[in-house]
Amino acid sequence: MKRLIDPASAFPALISMAGVTLFTLLFLHAESQEAVLGLTLGAAIALLLLARFGWNARAAASFAGHSGAGNASVIIGVLVVVAVFYDQHFPLLMLASVLLYIVVCLGLNLQFGYAGVVNFAGAAFFGIGCYTAAVLTEHSALPHLLVVVAGGVMAAGIGSLLILPVLRTYGHYAALITIAFGILFRVFLEVNDALGGPQGMKLPGMEIFGWKLNDGLTFGDIEVSFYANYVLVALAMAAVAFMLVRRLERSWIGLNLDAVRLDETACAAFGIDVARWKITAFTLGNFLAGLAGAVYAMMTGFVAPNSFTFGDSLILVSIVILGGIGNPWGLTVATAIVLILPEKLQFIQEYRLLLYAGLVILILLFRPGGLMPRQVRNYFPGWKP
Amino acid sequence: MNLKRSAIVSILGLTLAAAAGMASAKQTVKLVFIGPLTGGVSANGIGGRNSADLAVRLRNQDPKAKYSYELVSYDDECKPNIAVQVATKAAADNSIIAGVTHYCSVTAVATVDTYHKFGLPVVVWGAVLPSITYANKFPEIHRVNGTMINQNDVAAKFMTGLKFKRWVVIHDTTDYGKGHNQYFSEYLKKYGGNIVGTFGVTADQQDFTTELTKAKELKPDVIYFGGLTPLGVRIRSQMEKLGINAVFEGTSGIKSDAFIEGLGNKLAEGSLSFIEGAPWEKLPGGLYFTGKYAQQKYNEAPEAYGPFAFAAANLIMDAIEKVGPNRKKVTAELGNVKDRDSIIGKVTFDDHGQNIVPLITKYVVQDGKWVVWEDSEYGSGKRKLKGQ
Repeated sequence: MKRLIDPASAFPALISMAGVTLFTLLFLHAESQEAVLGLTLGAAIALLLLARFGWNARAAASFAGHSGAGNASVIIGVLVVVAVFYDQHFPLLMLASVLLYIVVCLGLNLQFGYAGVVNFAGAAFFGIGCYTAAVLTEHSALPHLLVVVAGGVMAAGIGSLLILPVLRTYGHYAALITIAFGILFRVFLEVNDALGGPQGMKLPGMEIFGWKLNDGLTFGDIEVSFYANYVLVALAMAAVAFMLVRRLERSWIGLNLDAVRLDETACAAFGIDVARWKITAFTLGNFLAGLAGAVYAMMTGFVAPNSFTFGDSLILVSIVILGGIGNPWGLTVATAIVLILPEKLQFIQEYRLLLYAGLVILILLFRPGGLMPRQVRNYFPGWKP
Repeated sequence: MNLKRSAIVSILGLTLAAAAGMASAKQTVKLVFIGPLTGGVSANGIGGRNSADLAVRLRNQDPKAKYSYELVSYDDECKPNIAVQVATKAAADNSIIAGVTHYCSVTAVATVDTYHKFGLPVVVWGAVLPSITYANKFPEIHRVNGTMINQNDVAAKFMTGLKFKRWVVIHDTTDYGKGHNQYFSEYLKKYGGNIVGTFGVTADQQDFTTELTKAKELKPDVIYFGGLTPLGVRIRSQMEKLGINAVFEGTSGIKSDAFIEGLGNKLAEGSLSFIEGAPWEKLPGGLYFTGKYAQQKYNEAPEAYGPFAFAAANLIMDAIEKVGPNRKKVTAELGNVKDRDSIIGKVTFDDHGQNIVPLITKYVVQDGKWVVWEDSEYGSGKRKLKGQ
């Protein structure tokens, strides 16, 4: 049953991933003005040309037909990047950050990509995870894996305070509630001296079963950056979260979530419990954000309210929109762009956020549906209606 | 890969040196500047960047310098997570020898561990929170500007000396404002002043009618404000609307030209500010600084902490000239700085790397300019502050 119609070959997917990996390597390595701008422009032109010759469609079909091979190639691509930059702290730190942000954005995607529950407090839920990790590592001897889980549980738990107002409101009003919560969260942290106040708190590095992530590995003469450890942990988390979200989307749960987003009245008429699915998506999304937050806090070793402003929440939302609402692959690409591009534009200093904002607007101008708009559900590989 | 990059860098450096007509044998040494180049306090960050850049340019013109210097600038956005990112980037880059880092206290506190871990010697140029230097004893961390402790000691003593009795404190709820509130309250009590009310406000608050109406009922002689320029401008102008007739006493955070521009000369008149270091406008080195700064035609003013960034960059380059471009040696050499002359007065680092500045300068706005108190007409008794 699985292969009703012969799917496209796996090669376009694999070749595309090899290309993307190579580009990532070059881009992370690029330092000079010319190199960064050249690579950015080059990528845009290459993508346009490839689209013109129909390569993108073929690659997409190939990915759809061979999701196993496609997923594996992405993981291998990340590992290749780690291997190349094994002793350089900075690219690995960026890579780990991107992977953790992907987890957060997958959560957001679940919320407003699928169930249509808007959440403009993504950074606050991320922050709850960070602060949970900070408090638990300081005041308890809980194993760090449990601390990470606790971060997720706390984010989901505190998020449940918002369930009632979010359920009772629609659209802009629900958005306002989450915005208010995000601002409240930051002000609360700033005036709360037990949580370090505006100065924030320090955290120790992560430790899993005696494996200290803050100590770099050494093989003979080769010293591996300790951030490689975090990349591996973040990669595992991102892979699991990605799989979870994909499975949810394909399952009857995903169908219910989509139905809730598209028409609540019709849903209720067909006996779908709207409140139940909204709560599920909202809580699960916050859980993912908290999970990623806990690991992120232990990686950077410092948390402060300044990192969780409304602006940061907007960045998270913009990642999901830029990637194409509802498409996990799209947000993966968008996260990399949104996190790495402003960093690579450091050479233009005070104008960098301006240029970066301009680029984002241009992308949305030419691709209003995001970089990779969501496709119709594909239950049978290669099947075309 | 690193070899290739350093080869490219040195080739670039050589061509630049050749193009400038200098001796091409000089080795290029990289320094990093980190500060807020975007966001609400970017005026101070850019001022500091320009000042550090000026120090580097002047040193590169000096034929006696053994090395030629290159300044790399990174933006920390005044956010701790971004600061840790750029600090890692700078510290992990072995071609960078030392750094002039951070204006916002929260970014400096967040990054000290990173610098310590990677062994990058840095000189903090603007962040005033005491714990940056005093929470740990990291040999890599130094600071040229004073802490808010000294600042508030002098401020409290000076204001009680002017026979003011009643204060209302308004502070922002960042570490900066809260710290100022804490130390000012402590010292004011010591010198016999009386705080009749304290209000914490968030750093992006727009309307202060509630706080100021309450403050008005308390009839203060002085409104003490612990926070930065944008908030200070709003509070001072809203004080006027509500008719509060009290002296506006700020901290180092409002000593900027933007404060006077934002309020206009009339409203800003008589506002006070206290800042660490000697009055650099009056030192020969300070005039040299402003003169050279004007010559380079930067688009932005150096702002209050520019001279500190300039001094920090010079201290680092002095150390490199003496011991060579080696991080460990530069760290050790910076630890030995004692009674060093600079445009901000003498610099002496204690065992925590903190500059023990004996001098705090008092400023008052007079006719649209920040004037050193002793030179002002207020100081000579010709003009009076409100309620005096």
